[in-house]
Amino acid sequence: MDVLMKLGDIDKRVLYVLLVLVLLIPMVRPIGIRISISHWTTKAYEQLSRLEPGDTVICDFGYNVDGAPDVEPIAKAIFRDLFDRNIKIITVSLNAQGPMIAEKLLLPYEESGKVYGTDFCNLGFMAGGETALAAYARDLKRTFPRDWRGNTTSTLPILQGITGAPDTKAWIFFTDSSAEAWVRQVGDLDVPMIGAVITVAAPQAEPFVHSGQLSGLLTGLRSAAEYEIVTNRPGGAVAAMDAQSLGHILITIFIVFGNISYFVKRSKELAGREGVQ
Amino acid sequence: MSTDVGIWVGALMTIAVFSYLFSENEFYKAVEHIYVGAAAGYSIVLGFSNVVTKGWQPLVEGRQFQVLIPVAMGLMLFAPYAGTQYNWMRRIPISFIVGIGAGITIRSVVIEQFVKQLSATILPFNSVNNVIIVLGTLAVLSYFFFTFKPSRALKTSAEVGKWIIMITFGASFGNAVMGRISLLIGRIDFMFREWIHLIKL
Repeated sequence: MDVLMKLGDIDKRVLYVLLVLVLLIPMVRPIGIRISISHWTTKAYEQLSRLEPGDTVICDFGYNVDGAPDVEPIAKAIFRDLFDRNIKIITVSLNAQGPMIAEKLLLPYEESGKVYGTDFCNLGFMAGGETALAAYARDLKRTFPRDWRGNTTSTLPILQGITGAPDTKAWIFFTDSSAEAWVRQVGDLDVPMIGAVITVAAPQAEPFVHSGQLSGLLTGLRSAAEYEIVTNRPGGAVAAMDAQSLGHILITIFIVFGNISYFVKRSKELAGREGVQ
Repeated sequence: MSTDVGIWVGALMTIAVFSYLFSENEFYKAVEHIYVGAAAGYSIVLGFSNVVTKGWQPLVEGRQFQVLIPVAMGLMLFAPYAGTQYNWMRRIPISFIVGIGAGITIRSVVIEQFVKQLSATILPFNSVNNVIIVLGTLAVLSYFFFTFKPSRALKTSAEVGKWIIMITFGASFGNAVMGRISLLIGRIDFMFREWIHLIKL
């Protein structure tokens, strides 16, 4: 009993160190815990696997750097899959930090031979939130007269024949908040839409997949790992999933022992009070 | 270990931020201020770049004089700084922004978030999932039904609805934990892969 009570009084800093160790060890020496593929990831993969070489998709960046560790692995997995299949990518940003993030992700592909303006382009950020989203979803070149690098967008080969979202084959958005803005403003356009959201926002986004408003949903690091597996390109997300799983087990243990300790303490206190009376 | 100055700065700042978990200290405060300052600086540069590429260049180089209208409305937002007697000028662009924003959002909220979600809930009882979705939605709605004194049936339904809401909150909490662990993994990966080079896979 005393051991259980003491467990509840462990210094929280000890728990932080334990958590870091439990996450770090499997990243250094992976265990290879099996990852199952969710229905939502399968739907997203099926939608994107229909794309042919030369097709164009829009990737909308709506996350900040503080949400990047959870959302960015999805962007990396999708970029790798699409560029490997010679699919063209137009990046836009609903978020101010988006163009910088997109530029960082696109750089390795540019260095490996993909041509800016032909295979991909970064149109940058447009202020105005949902109003801006409604505008650029319907007319990219009018909303972005110049791209992030200062080029006139009407001269970019990748944008020839493309006015708005319906002229592309898919709209993929990456966000660290809710999916609702995209559902509202891109939902009524004739383009399949795939959401890549931070894990916290998953329960709010799932009804949109069920209703068919989203063609697929990828949520956080877990979905990134699943996408890497279904595309046969295992990468950083798969490697991090062992840590993710062990981290969850440790937190579950914390919660269970924390509760046991609480109830043991409470029952002792109650017994003590009854003894006094 | 990395020889990149940028990675060293990032790693030391990460350590300074995590030091808050042990106790608040000057390093943490310094990094907090640097972060806020850098974010503000980035926003100012981006805002200025927006003015140049979407206002100045189309107007001066492209002779697109219609750009004068949004530029003038943008300037009107700053009118109160010229004197309180110009406060009224700010109301015109603000009413325009609010009106356009509300118009664009309300139209799509009704269609995308009400009508389409409603129709997605009207399902045949041919699978367990469909039964759960339909009955679950009705039960949750009944929990928020305050129009008249509840009957026994409504109370039972509301109780079921309450449990469904709790399960939803549980799922959200589980996802929140999962997301936070992912963020921590991201930092550990940066520290031990890019900085110390301990993670090699």
